[in-house]
Amino acid sequence: MAMQPGNSRRSSGLVLWGGIIVFGMIIVSFPTVMVAGVGMLPTLVAFLVDRTDEKFATFCVGGINFCGVFPQLMTLWNGEHTINAAMNILADVFVVATMYGAAAFAWMLFMSLPPVIASVLNVMSQTRLASLRSVQRHLVEEWGPEVAGEDNPPPPDTDSPPEPAAT
Amino acid sequence: MAEAPMDLEEGEDIPLPGEDFPDAGAASPPPPPVARGPVIINDRYMIDPGAPLPDLDLPSAKAFAAEDRREPGRKLYALICTPGLPVRVDAMAKLKGFNINGMLTLVEWESVFWASMEQRTTAVIYERPLGGPIMAAVKAREVTLNEYELPRRVIEPMSGVIRELGTQGVSHRSIRAANMYFMDEDRQNIVLGDCTTSPPGFDQPTVYEPLERALAGRAGRGEGGVTDDIYALAVSVIHILVGGNPIAKMSEDELLYRKIERGSYATVCGNAWVPMSLLEPLRGMLTDDSAERWSGEEIDSWMNGRKQTPLQKRSAKKADVPQRFGGRNHVTARTLAHAFSQDVSDAVKMVNDETFIAWIRRNMNQPDMADAIEGAVKSANFHKGSFQGTDDYLITHVCTILDPEGPLRYQGFNFTMDGFGDAMAIEYMRKGEAQIAAEIISKDLTALWFQAQASVYGETGAQQRMFSQLKGYLAINEPGYGFERCLYEINPSMPCQSPMVIKHHVVTIEGLLPALDAAANNADARSKPMDRHIAAFVAARFNQDIQPHLKAIASARADTSVIGMLSLLAFLQWRLQGPAMLGLSSWIGGLLGPAINTYHNRAMRRELEREIPRLVRKGSLPELFDLVDNADRRREDGDGFAEARAEYDEAESEIQEIEGSDSERMAKAMRAGQQTAAMISVISTMIVVTAIFLWQAW
Repeated sequence: MAMQPGNSRRSSGLVLWGGIIVFGMIIVSFPTVMVAGVGMLPTLVAFLVDRTDEKFATFCVGGINFCGVFPQLMTLWNGEHTINAAMNILADVFVVATMYGAAAFAWMLFMSLPPVIASVLNVMSQTRLASLRSVQRHLVEEWGPEVAGEDNPPPPDTDSPPEPAAT
Repeated sequence: MAEAPMDLEEGEDIPLPGEDFPDAGAASPPPPPVARGPVIINDRYMIDPGAPLPDLDLPSAKAFAAEDRREPGRKLYALICTPGLPVRVDAMAKLKGFNINGMLTLVEWESVFWASMEQRTTAVIYERPLGGPIMAAVKAREVTLNEYELPRRVIEPMSGVIRELGTQGVSHRSIRAANMYFMDEDRQNIVLGDCTTSPPGFDQPTVYEPLERALAGRAGRGEGGVTDDIYALAVSVIHILVGGNPIAKMSEDELLYRKIERGSYATVCGNAWVPMSLLEPLRGMLTDDSAERWSGEEIDSWMNGRKQTPLQKRSAKKADVPQRFGGRNHVTARTLAHAFSQDVSDAVKMVNDETFIAWIRRNMNQPDMADAIEGAVKSANFHKGSFQGTDDYLITHVCTILDPEGPLRYQGFNFTMDGFGDAMAIEYMRKGEAQIAAEIISKDLTALWFQAQASVYGETGAQQRMFSQLKGYLAINEPGYGFERCLYEINPSMPCQSPMVIKHHVVTIEGLLPALDAAANNADARSKPMDRHIAAFVAARFNQDIQPHLKAIASARADTSVIGMLSLLAFLQWRLQGPAMLGLSSWIGGLLGPAINTYHNRAMRRELEREIPRLVRKGSLPELFDLVDNADRRREDGDGFAEARAEYDEAESEIQEIEGSDSERMAKAMRAGQQTAAMISVISTMIVVTAIFLWQAW
């Protein structure tokens, strides 16, 4: 579907602001941008792959991916905040594996959890359905099939019985 | 000749139920055989069916010996009325215990079960006249009542009776020589007999009736008044004097024609010798113009020796040249009207003939009458094809023009305005329907008669209003209205003609529920104790507003109709403070299925079904009605049902939502899973970041 002119303008605005922030951060904190940029690449991929409005995949991968990147950022911020230090971190295969492993785990979680949740919800729905059917059966027993509207009695007419005689 | 439904021959009895008139009670099996023992009324008066008194029989009632159990020596007799024949209940109520010198004292009256007829009927108890009927004694020459004794022993006391009755608002209308008795064994006191066991004038031979009433059928002669009784008294005096009817062999038609052409006095006396001393009062009392007829005051004056101005014999206007019709020559408009009503087809030919109009105009010297007849013929031609263009309508119209004082004559149904009710009742009893009477009401035929009257006086206005009201009832074809309502409204003494209770002779509203209670024993359990006759009878006799009940009874819905019926009968029992109605309660209890099924709540239905037998055993219709149609219970049921429906619909919506399409459900579940994964991830991040910060800070 063709993108709406309004959406296009908003996306362009986001890209522009994102570019300005990234550019600002590159000037202010280039080592951090290096580590985060490389470490958070799976999140970027998830963002590009996830076509849904809610961006659940992006949030899922991004969250856990950040858990893998954040300790290295802390190391960088608490130690030397230089390009060399950033390069050292990125050169450590174990560190990169940790960051990308976290992202992979997140992606696995994102892929496996929905079927589990669906099964659980299905069981809950069936239980609720049985309960509602039971309520309906009880109502029919107590009030007759007309309570279901299957055999609706005619609406009360004007010649309804007179008021009872005093006893 | 047109059929004459009302013109019963003299002495012809109205057939008893079960003989040849349609037996409306056929649907109801007769009560079980009852031993023909004495019949007790009010625990006091005992009628012996084995002791008939044929001398005291009346044309419409049989006489039997009766006793007062509190006064064993008191001589009484009972008149057992013809079942179904309207009796004069209002007159009975006024005359009960009314002790007038010159009339039998009506001691008691009650509806009783008469075993030989296998049904209920009215019994009227009188003091027994010990000297027997006077005509029997006169004919046997055991007693002679001459012109000197008659004024003192007959005319004076009888005119006193007529006047007394007049003050009570009752006319006797059965004054005839055969209905006069010697009260004592010495045959000194002469008294008038019963006047309540048949409609007014019904039992009277035609000779006793004034012209305008004699021209009507027997049942349609009407209530009449004092002048009619005085006329009959004069005829009785002549018959006693002569020892019988001097013109007994004369045919009914001949009698009427002679009365019209020669006047009543000359006709009734025939060739009999009338003493000079009685000439004046008899002429005065037999004057055909009721306005000029002697009243009680004139009789008193004559008795006191005062001479009255002699009445000139005033004959009807006669034509110079007679008009031939129906095999005889007519010189008066009145005889022509009578003859026209008996042969409608020939009458139509005659009134369409211009020579007839010319005869009225020239020979009768009645130009106004001729114009009116011409107008009636033109109107009939204009309305050709509709009711007003029919031959019967035209002749009825012409008859009212020719004889405005006479009865209304339609298809042989001839009646005075105050005799319409009885005429209608008798026609219904004979045929099982009263099509002609219904037509008279619905087509407003009486308007022709009222238009023909020279003056409209109070009574006429009331009668016009009554017919207008009857027309309104007839127009509504629902229970409680229609022909049946007219029948009971206009005949206060008419017994309820419902097949269920006809044998119980229900005349008053108080008698209806006990009769239905008794009928319950033999009733078809699937039938309802309510039909058009019962609804109309209640509507006419019960002085309460039962409009909503009737409307409910008329409903096409079985439940509404049953509840309407129960509510009406319960209202009756409550208002009339009637005793327990076990049979009727049981009958109705078995019909309440549709009413109980109007409740939605099954538990409530079961509870009601459990309660019904208990209330049936109490015989209380109001309680039964309260059980079935209690307003609070019905509201509670309605509210509960509405809530239940809402609850059901809510559950149904939720079920539909849960049971939506699989793909949609899966998509929902997947989305929920993805959302959960995202939430876990974000929450994990927050925990990890917070933990690292804390660890670093420590």
